[in-house]
Amino acid sequence: MSVSPNGVAAERGDGYVLVRLSGEVDLSWSQEVRRAVLDALAAGTPVGVELSAVSYIDSSGIAALVEGFQQARQHGRRFALVAVSDAVRAVLELARLDRVFLLVPSADALLAA
Amino acid sequence: MKALRARSAGARTAGDARAAQRPATDPRAGEAGTLAFLAELSQALAVSLDLRQTLSETVTRVVDFMQVEAASLFLLDPATLVLDCRICIGPVDITGVRLAVGQGIVGSAVADNATQLVVDAADDPRVWRAADDTTGFVTHSLVCAPLRTAAGPIGVLEIVNRRDGTPFSVADAELLELVAAPAALAINSARMAASLLEQQRLKREFDLARRLQKSLLPHRRRDGFPVIGVNRPAHEISGDFYDHFELADGRIGFVVGDISGKGLDAALLMVRAASLLRWAGKDGIEPAAWLSRANDELCETTQDGRFVCALVGYCDRAATRVRFAGAGFPPVIVQRGDAFDEYPSGGPPLGILPGVAFEQHELALAGGTFYAFSDGATDVRDAHGRPIGNAGVRALIARHAKESLEPRLRSLLADLKQLRLVDDTTLLLVEAPRAEQPERLVDLRVPARAESLRELRGAVRAALDALGIEPRLRDKLVLAVDEACANIIRHGYGQSCDGDIELCLARNGTTLAFELRDTAPCADPAALRPKPLGEVRCGGFGIALIDEVMDDWRVEPLAGGRGNRLVMHKRIEDIAGEANEA
Repeated sequence: MSVSPNGVAAERGDGYVLVRLSGEVDLSWSQEVRRAVLDALAAGTPVGVELSAVSYIDSSGIAALVEGFQQARQHGRRFALVAVSDAVRAVLELARLDRVFLLVPSADALLAA
Repeated sequence: MKALRARSAGARTAGDARAAQRPATDPRAGEAGTLAFLAELSQALAVSLDLRQTLSETVTRVVDFMQVEAASLFLLDPATLVLDCRICIGPVDITGVRLAVGQGIVGSAVADNATQLVVDAADDPRVWRAADDTTGFVTHSLVCAPLRTAAGPIGVLEIVNRRDGTPFSVADAELLELVAAPAALAINSARMAASLLEQQRLKREFDLARRLQKSLLPHRRRDGFPVIGVNRPAHEISGDFYDHFELADGRIGFVVGDISGKGLDAALLMVRAASLLRWAGKDGIEPAAWLSRANDELCETTQDGRFVCALVGYCDRAATRVRFAGAGFPPVIVQRGDAFDEYPSGGPPLGILPGVAFEQHELALAGGTFYAFSDGATDVRDAHGRPIGNAGVRALIARHAKESLEPRLRSLLADLKQLRLVDDTTLLLVEAPRAEQPERLVDLRVPARAESLRELRGAVRAALDALGIEPRLRDKLVLAVDEACANIIRHGYGQSCDGDIELCLARNGTTLAFELRDTAPCADPAALRPKPLGEVRCGGFGIALIDEVMDDWRVEPLAGGRGNRLVMHKRIEDIAGEANEA
């Protein structure tokens, strides 16, 4: 199991914004995650949420991602989950959301997808 | 045919003279033609993984290109050092002919690991003539090139008689040597492919044998049954087994066995011995007679030095008395409080000597526990690589004696596993059934705040890991508990979060019970319904996740108008069954 500390950081890539999440996303800070995802969408470019270092996510964390997905769709923007960890994938599958989100292996694939 | 090819002694000499001057092959081939031929052959061989096709491809192309009357390919059996003709093209079929290494020109090519050129066969006493003598074919001239690999020659490629009647030259020998190189490589690859297939087939057979073995082990009984067995194979297939069954008079018969040797035939003997021992004990005869009966039967049918160590016996349902006999089995250990007694086997292993008598013991258990370990347990190595022996096993038992049955079995196996397990290990124990108490695994009280969730998850995860729950299921259960707590924090207490959450995780047999208590205002159970998963919306599916993961759950308001109790259940696989898998 990954021991990454909890963290969220947005970085601007070439034509997209990448929000990097790490650690265990739960109710104690999922609001921060939600804010960061919505802020990233405000930039008007495609947005990816990088999840490779997320060792746990609960429904409140998933909800933040779902909200980002819906916002992006309303504004016709691309929104993808990048490098989804096994732990996150298991929860997405459990919630039947694995086919709802666009999942890409890397940030580069974000624009190509 | 003979008339056509028969030549006078004079012609033969002339042929030898011509051989020295003449170019290697047909003039129309030339050097470019030779290169093209070799390239084509290598390419054809490179794509072939089928041994027979590889061989026949090589020989056919050689006959056509080199314009020879006959060609053949021999493969070497490294065990017997015999060369076997696998492919032959020509007027006389010598497929199946076997030559020893060193015998004939073919045998010399392997013995010397060098190409052999015989310009005039009549002059060379080494030439093997049996085929010529019986068929009338005359071998005038031949070349044999070894099929070389890094591990030595694996066979020989042979050509006999040029079609134009001239003898073979050095250049012909060199060309055949060039052909032999890619052919050897291709044969090697084809063999490797075949052995890979063989390995896969063996693996399938092993899997089947393992499943068959597992199916022979009795199911764990949880209805206050006094006999429990656990088997942990060191490798894919186990040579150990155990069994228990009830007799009409209420007694319970038990068997533990350990087959000598490893591998598939030991596994098959295990299957036979297990059914034989069960059959021999079904009549309820004395344990000593039971062993004798099985021994005589096994002696009649077991060969090749294999034998079976076994322990058989009976106990009553309350496990007050045990009567048993051993055949080459490690001593039984009986633990009563701090006292240990050992009872060595009173007879040799089964399947060696018919007509042997066995000694039996009878003892009053008096609340103690009867342990029969196969020698896999005593052979376990300590930190210094020494077998822990019976004293080591006694120390293990003493360390965990206070634990109730299930956790004790787990602890014993975990300890044995932590030391180095070198052999199959089987443990059968007999003790008076105690009323089965739910085993409390987690008892935790935390403030009802989101910051507490991490600690709660950690505690649940650790407890599930200790039970050996597989990670995927573990993560789902952790998620469900987290979701339940998050709901209590968010919706139960709302903003006024000065209350606590109490988590209790208990295991009752094969059921895990997760209980959460809070002191928030009573929830309306009717309002707590799972919404269908798969609808994309923000939040609100924590309960749906719980519903998906758990077998059942319910929320009850606590008496007094404040507080709730949430209980969630999940059935898990038999823990001992999982130990058998490992």
